[in-house]
Amino acid sequence: MTTASDDQSPRWLDVHLHLLDRQVLDVHGVPIAVVDDLELSEVPAGQEIPRDTSPPVITALLSGPALATRIFGGRPPESRMVRTPWIAVREVGVVIKLSVGRDTQDLSWTERWVRDHVIGRIPGGRHTPKGEHAQSNDRGGS
Amino acid sequence: MIITDLLRARVFGPDFLGFVSDVRFSFDTSSIGQPAQLYGIIVSPHARSSSLGFERSGVRSPWPIAALVRWRHRDSFLVRWADIERIDVNRIQLRKGFERGSPSLP
Repeated sequence: MTTASDDQSPRWLDVHLHLLDRQVLDVHGVPIAVVDDLELSEVPAGQEIPRDTSPPVITALLSGPALATRIFGGRPPESRMVRTPWIAVREVGVVIKLSVGRDTQDLSWTERWVRDHVIGRIPGGRHTPKGEHAQSNDRGGS
Repeated sequence: MIITDLLRARVFGPDFLGFVSDVRFSFDTSSIGQPAQLYGIIVSPHARSSSLGFERSGVRSPWPIAALVRWRHRDSFLVRWADIERIDVNRIQLRKGFERGSPSLP
């Protein structure tokens, strides 16, 4: 995992400044989510932390319905938050780039479900419209 | 634990010190794939909110906003993970003799 700046080590990440609300792009540069929260490895909460305890690490980026809880307090149900494992993060910069495609992530399951069960059942919905593929190739695949 | 359990929590030494305004992680770029470790928390005595990036030492503009944010976060300090004694719901207790570091980003 790298940052968009130079490669001196160590590097620092401030949660508000570098991670929260950042857009997440998959390996093809397609936006798939924003970072609403971070999941940390186990922290001994509610008890004294021994001085030699290893610091927690970021285990996943979390995305979900966090707007209401940010305004009114509390936290969204864990079941509503979708995890992106931290190990899939390739670069942290203006956006967060992943090393995997969006189809491998739970984040885009609704989009895939609608594609497979709704759009795909509409006549003509399972292929790129004629001519558009060639046009997009002429535009450089954008 | 999720990070919003830490953000905006009240921080106590012997007495009330402030709120967690940000959480700092470190990682070694020489090791690809190494996880980001929690380095410390930034405690702001007067504000729960973020410092909007003005904790970076070279950021001074636009000056009215920079001045306002720096004033709201005056006397902020960084506490390293080793100095955190206990984490409860919305409350963090620091060890006796904890050290106050500079919150500025290099």
